[in-house]
Amino acid sequence: MELLRRHTSLSANLLAFCRHLRDHGFAIGPAETTVLFHALEILDPFRDAENLRLTIRASVAKSREQQQKFDELYPKYWKELEQAVDSKIAKDRKPKSAPQKQSSPSLLALKNWLNGKPAEEEIALAEFSAQESTSTKDFSLFSPNELQEIHHLIRQIARTLAVQISRRWERAHTPKRLDLRRTMRKNLRRGGELIELAQLKPQKKKTQLVLLCDVSKSMDLYSQFLIQFIYAFQAASQRIETFVFATDLYRVTTVLKTGDYQTAMQKLSATAPGWSGGTRIGSSLDQFCREYRRLIHRNATILILSDGVDTGDIDLLENAMAMMHRRVDRIIWLNPLAGRPGYAPEVRGMQAAMPFVDVFASLHSIESLRSLGKIIGRK
Amino acid sequence: MPQHITLETIEKRLNDQAYITERSIVLSVFLAMQLEKPLLIEGPAGVGKTEIAKVMAKILDTDLIRLQCYEGLDANHALYEWNYQQQLLYLKMEESEKTSLEEKEKNIFSQRFLLKRPLLQAITQHKAPVLLIDEIDRADEEFESFLLEVLSDWQITIPEIGTISATHKPTVIVTSNRVRELSEALRRRCLYLWIDYPSFEKELQIVRSKVPNIDAQLGRQICAFMLEVRQMRLEKIPGVAETLDWAMALAALHIDHLDKETVESTLGIILKDWQDIRHVQDSLTSLFEKVGAISKFDNL
Repeated sequence: MELLRRHTSLSANLLAFCRHLRDHGFAIGPAETTVLFHALEILDPFRDAENLRLTIRASVAKSREQQQKFDELYPKYWKELEQAVDSKIAKDRKPKSAPQKQSSPSLLALKNWLNGKPAEEEIALAEFSAQESTSTKDFSLFSPNELQEIHHLIRQIARTLAVQISRRWERAHTPKRLDLRRTMRKNLRRGGELIELAQLKPQKKKTQLVLLCDVSKSMDLYSQFLIQFIYAFQAASQRIETFVFATDLYRVTTVLKTGDYQTAMQKLSATAPGWSGGTRIGSSLDQFCREYRRLIHRNATILILSDGVDTGDIDLLENAMAMMHRRVDRIIWLNPLAGRPGYAPEVRGMQAAMPFVDVFASLHSIESLRSLGKIIGRK
Repeated sequence: MPQHITLETIEKRLNDQAYITERSIVLSVFLAMQLEKPLLIEGPAGVGKTEIAKVMAKILDTDLIRLQCYEGLDANHALYEWNYQQQLLYLKMEESEKTSLEEKEKNIFSQRFLLKRPLLQAITQHKAPVLLIDEIDRADEEFESFLLEVLSDWQITIPEIGTISATHKPTVIVTSNRVRELSEALRRRCLYLWIDYPSFEKELQIVRSKVPNIDAQLGRQICAFMLEVRQMRLEKIPGVAETLDWAMALAALHIDHLDKETVESTLGIILKDWQDIRHVQDSLTSLFEKVGAISKFDNL
């Protein structure tokens, strides 16, 4: 009788523990708990604490990260429970999630630019040699009539990125590969004479494009171009999600989709209150990983436009990059500084991110935009 | 599922098969067999994930059916395919016969012309086999969802023949190198096991059991060296397979201890990337200091 009661109280405790895990982001449904209790039934692991722990873990923790989390939570939970029972004090186990401090940086650059104050940019740019031909000229120096070509190139790149060749095959009319199954069906009544051939061609698969654009102070020089880039990019395909970040991340997809260029820009400046502040790439990317998990998948290409100057937590940047790198098709990092002679990715943030970048390219001139189109098309 | 299999027998059988285990592995294998649930094994390359399936097949004394995944793998390659060449030949041969079209169709789309691929094979065996779905992360998501369907219903529908139900449910092992994150749905259907690089002691045990004639000191040095090399930031971190290759090579050369020269000339056995090799060569001195410290203190 005593044994039975202890048994049921253990079951109750296990269920409570499952709830506790759920609070920590574990997906534990009735299916998992059923498996767990089945497992405990056949194993009778109650004699052995380690077996009990491993059994629970195998049943409810379904990834390495979860297992690590589990290993951390498990001893703590039972210890807490023990203490609580000992002192007969009901404990409240509220998850203590420290509210994220929100900073409110300014939206200076865009506002300035929109209000027709390009003076600062011109002054800053004077330091940059206004030498050579148009094609290698820095973007910060482009003239209005070059806008057209830039726009065109960006759209091309976005389109290339948006469609990729799948390894699967679909029905086709032009000869690529024979669809024997269908061919056989079609020619059955001819007694094995293959006349009508059915064909297959590689499927095209639509990819999800995500554009993450750094609009912090260090990127100021390029703000006019960035805005151009974002806008042209967003217009190129339906399956593009656009975010801007400086210290925090903002989704601007819907803003960009509404209306013409001017209105979109006006709205953009009203939405994202963070242009030209400091940069926290790490925490912005981390925010992206947490809040927009659905955009991070095998069919996604992530395009990051940033100089890699991060004043925040580099570990956060590294973790977020590693996480995205594992899950998405490609990460493309476009760095406007990379076009400068003698550039090496020595900025701390850039260095941390580099191992996880599939394509790293400069983006500072029309020429670089052209070659980017080629690189991306190659794959 | 055989009821006589207990935790202890599995542990013993794993040891008999020279598979050096730890408790979490034994327990997961046991639970997967008893609960008839697929076991999802993740971990870096070369830690013996695939090996588990092979050993399980031996324990259960049954066949191992392996489905190697790759990008573009589709139902045709995993389930079944018609043998088109033979179908054609048959039609040619029957050309002059007066069989009706329906008759012909029925004949060429029969079991006789059916090529069974691993999944269909697995459910039509006389004895429940071990089905190894290797490197699922290489296949695409469409295949993953297709697989989920098969794993839950254990029946396969072939339009021309009908539905084939499993005679026995196979024991399923799914492995992944985490090239791609697997879907939540697949994870939830499976029991989960993470296998990491072995500890120094475990690796030494493995080396000793697979390369019995190895010098004791050399064995310790090799394992200590591997332990340190894995701490470095390398492109391709060597697995246990590399350790064993290295141990066998050095044992065959009748070497009884590691020195810089030996390591430099045989580094290609454990490292498969030019930059990694250079990287390790550059830090050989400090590596040796650490290796000395580890292997000295151990009196195994």
